Amino acid sequence: MRDEDKIIEDALQGNDSSYELLLRPYRQGFLNMAYRITGNREEAEEICQDALLKIFKYLSSFKRGRSFRTWAYRIVMNTSYDFLREKKKFEQVIETQKKTIVYENSDAEERMLKREIREKIQSILYILTLKEKAVFLLRDSEGLSVKEASMVLGCSQMSVRTHLSRARQKIKSHFEKIYPMKSREV
Amino acid sequence: MRCKKIRHFLPLLAGSELPESKVSTVESHLDRCPLCQEEYEKYVLLVQETRKWLAEDRMDWKEREWQEAVQNAVTGELPRRTSLVPWPFPKTWAFALMAGAMLLITILVVRPPFVEKIGLKPRYLDVAKMEAVEASEGKEQQEVISMTMVSKETGLKIVWFFNKNFDLEERK
Repeated sequence: MRDEDKIIEDALQGNDSSYELLLRPYRQGFLNMAYRITGNREEAEEICQDALLKIFKYLSSFKRGRSFRTWAYRIVMNTSYDFLREKKKFEQVIETQKKTIVYENSDAEERMLKREIREKIQSILYILTLKEKAVFLLRDSEGLSVKEASMVLGCSQMSVRTHLSRARQKIKSHFEKIYPMKSREV
Repeated sequence: MRCKKIRHFLPLLAGSELPESKVSTVESHLDRCPLCQEEYEKYVLLVQETRKWLAEDRMDWKEREWQEAVQNAVTGELPRRTSLVPWPFPKTWAFALMAGAMLLITILVVRPPFVEKIGLKPRYLDVAKMEAVEASEGKEQQEVISMTMVSKETGLKIVWFFNKNFDLEERK
């Protein structure tokens, strides 16, 4: 039995600390994934809270031997999209994102650099479709393999590759439009 | 393979997502074609940069909030929801607006003494009281009041008379 499966068994026995241990490696990943999709930290935390609740509720139905990581990411992704659908605020995501930038313990130069990076990421996410965004984030932000991303999204590996390729082509031409003279520097 | 077809694979080769079966074909084309090679280098740089940005702009939970979130999940507590109508301004503005509205309602309901000084009209109940006072200060008052009841079936009519203290005086 794998370590992860043992921890899952412990969590199902009612050991709360095992549940926390099981989720700890993904705490940043879940939060960032939800944040990139919604563009709002507070909402991202709500989504994660909701997702953690679902993971705990359906943990008994999780098939042992399978990847807990992809199963959990799938729940987070679906919860995020449900949240957006419920609130119908796709068009407000970027606006909200601009207003919720919070920088802690950083000086002016670092703050400006962070702002610049965040604006670049926002502009990338803005031009991508939902599927392209999901594939791009799972692969380049969370480091999932193509196979894992296909399991999270419930589609073929071919489809993941197609969306990823399209996303990168879009990002490249986006930056070439913004920085036409120095396209080689991105 | 032609350049047009190869270029579809370049973003994937740059991120190491291209299937093994296609890698050697694409790489051998890159050795021969400087334009595709240049394009490939751009993608490599793009993938490196975007991954770096995403890694640098990562956020994390505060330990206490994370523990609370896990605990809520275990106990089955529903997460706190934000309002359905998004509030685009800082939250403090919402609190200030609510406080202002409450103050206004309080003024209208309680009506502290300074309100009359600033010239607000008295309420209807106060008008009635003022009229009653005026009436008791010399104006004519109604001495007797009567109440008539008529039976639909028999046509019998009863009339009650009351004095100003509402004491029954006479019945016909």
